[in-house]
Amino acid sequence: MHTLTIAWHTLLAFFPPDLSPSYLRYVWLPVAQTIGMASAGMVVALSLGIPLAIYVGTRAPGWQGIVGLLSALRAIPDLTLAILAVVIVGLGPAAGMAALAVFYTAMVGKVFAELFLAAPQAPLESLRATGAPRLAVALFGLIPLTLADLLTFGSYSFECAMRASVIVGAVGGGGIGTELVGAVNGLDYPRATTLIIILALLVASVDTLGWLIRKNPRIALVLFPVGVATMLLNPPQVFVVRHAFVTFAGMLPPLLNPKALAALPALLWETLEIAVGGTALALLLALPLALGAARNVVHTAITAAVRRVLDVARAVPEIVWALIFVVMAGIGPLAGALALGIHSAGVLGKLFAEAFENVDTAPVRALEATGAGRLPVVAFGIFPLAIGPIAVHTMFRLEWNVRAATVVGMIGAGGIGEALFNAQQHMHYQEMMAYIAATWLLVILADVVGERVRRRLGWNYVTT
Amino acid sequence: MPLPMISRRLLVEGAGAALVASMLPIAARAAGAAIRVGMIPDAGATQVSVDEKRPLREYLASKTGYDVNLVIPTNYNATVEALGNGSLDFAYLGGLTYVQAHARYGVIPLVQRSSDRRFHSLFITQSDSAVRTLADLRGKNFAFGDTNSTSGHLMPYYYMQKSGIDPERDVKYRFTGNHPATAKAVEAGIVDAGAIDESVFHAMVDGKQIDGSKVRVFYTTPPFVDYVWVARKDLDAQQRQALAQAFLALKDPRDKTLLDILRGKEFVRADDAEYDTLRGVARKLSML
Repeated sequence: MHTLTIAWHTLLAFFPPDLSPSYLRYVWLPVAQTIGMASAGMVVALSLGIPLAIYVGTRAPGWQGIVGLLSALRAIPDLTLAILAVVIVGLGPAAGMAALAVFYTAMVGKVFAELFLAAPQAPLESLRATGAPRLAVALFGLIPLTLADLLTFGSYSFECAMRASVIVGAVGGGGIGTELVGAVNGLDYPRATTLIIILALLVASVDTLGWLIRKNPRIALVLFPVGVATMLLNPPQVFVVRHAFVTFAGMLPPLLNPKALAALPALLWETLEIAVGGTALALLLALPLALGAARNVVHTAITAAVRRVLDVARAVPEIVWALIFVVMAGIGPLAGALALGIHSAGVLGKLFAEAFENVDTAPVRALEATGAGRLPVVAFGIFPLAIGPIAVHTMFRLEWNVRAATVVGMIGAGGIGEALFNAQQHMHYQEMMAYIAATWLLVILADVVGERVRRRLGWNYVTT
Repeated sequence: MPLPMISRRLLVEGAGAALVASMLPIAARAAGAAIRVGMIPDAGATQVSVDEKRPLREYLASKTGYDVNLVIPTNYNATVEALGNGSLDFAYLGGLTYVQAHARYGVIPLVQRSSDRRFHSLFITQSDSAVRTLADLRGKNFAFGDTNSTSGHLMPYYYMQKSGIDPERDVKYRFTGNHPATAKAVEAGIVDAGAIDESVFHAMVDGKQIDGSKVRVFYTTPPFVDYVWVARKDLDAQQRQALAQAFLALKDPRDKTLLDILRGKEFVRADDAEYDTLRGVARKLSML
């Protein structure tokens, strides 16, 4: 009871947000940095990722090797990359951009490559039969064939990059993330609330931008001047390149002392607990919320309101929820699981609602024709029909949450992420690299197991 | 015709430069005329906390003749690494971060507050709590500040051990991240007790940021050497002198505004030899 009272008082301390003109004047620079970092990260990701994906998609020599490399890079959580980048590139947005560029090059490269590989082969064969070179096959075959998916995924990854730019900021990569962590650490909660509101608005605008880009792909070109300008304004802070290499070389080989090695399984287990607990909580919250957000279940006046709630839960990244819950519930795995649970509930709620809305209408109408009431129709018609997609989305979320659990750990939510962060803070870099390697293996393992399970159950679904 | 000899170092640097340049299309470039001064985030790091220190920035700029950029990185480690990779010229470090930065990057100690020579950590608890001595901490929830903090972690940890309390077994501890957060956590009863920097604690009580009647000091550590202003190793001696002189020239009460920001009364020259005891403790607790 005492703990709940404290949590309640802490929550109240976040309100009202500081919306004074003087503070809003302060934050425009971090906000601009965040937008710039996300754009620059995407510019690099698209410039490097698309050629790589085309190389793979045209099955040029050694394409399997590139797929392997991209998958391996993608399994390193973005916050981990940011920690490395801050040590190597120096403080500020340059480090954030470097981390985002690497992470999203791998993500864009891998997913675009998969889309290209899955493209219908017949039209490509006929193009090749005309003697067209690879590039022509890509430009006139692969890209037009997959354009819709490319645009959907491209805008989705920009939205992710915007959220991720907050994550990398949290360890000194600049922008709103740096400001937000500083505000929370400085007990400046009303200003933290202001920053969270700004972040939610940013994510919502990116959502709208993504929608515009899908209608008119040329709008995506605005990313380039913004991204390039940010890169020009924020060169890396290191002026001795050699230092970066010496520092990095000093991190190798990864090494754990016997005591730390003995503690490793428990840390990995705690991270898994955060991931599973968070996903379970998300599932519990998302099911009722999704029913409330499905337009074929309840009135649209209700769905509109429920959808706004889901938007907020989703717009705030896990790490920001974790910052709040660490303040409210204390440091430890509970804060981590709550953070993953709330954010994932926002994501799953939206996806589940779409699953409910997309069910085959024929069986539902047949049920309605029997004179069944609203509740039986939902319980015995819509719900069972949507169970397949719900299971697939939950499974994907669990995989994602394994990665996210290591990330929230780094700001005090326990597990291997916390050990990683402490090792970095104490400059035990070989130990840090060992934790990075363990995290990386855990994420890869989760991805592989997830894929096996899906394949065995015959759940073939477009992946992102 | 024989190819010109290319040294291995040049090759490594060339490849390195190419990699960085491809990762970020801007080649690394030297800093401009401004000197960059960093401060560990012992009381949080935001645009606002930088702005609260504006009088300090303006003073340093007028005394040294250089433009001054004041930066508060989000964590202690980032401040040390920034001195190593050249993104900061000067920094305000805690005792532990100083010995780490000195060992890794040979940073040069310049000046410190006279109080830093004989600094203390305070152990605090709620006024009505039953905790009276370190031994009473057994089985309690305890807060340290940042894991790299001298007065918020290293020294309190050491003196707990010395008095027969093993922090790993006898208490349940956590890191709040900084000193004000520790004070707040104790005041609110989120933890039973905590260890805090004396200057931050007194400043918070005086500034009414916490209620002095709700929190009580139950143990004060023996003195140790703590915070220090440093320069990175290869900074030119003239700039180093200019900054040191600016601090040494501060006089109470004439410069009260600045001294309040710095939570001190006067500045003296710092000496690496003073840190030998602290270095020993840090090694013993494998934090160096």
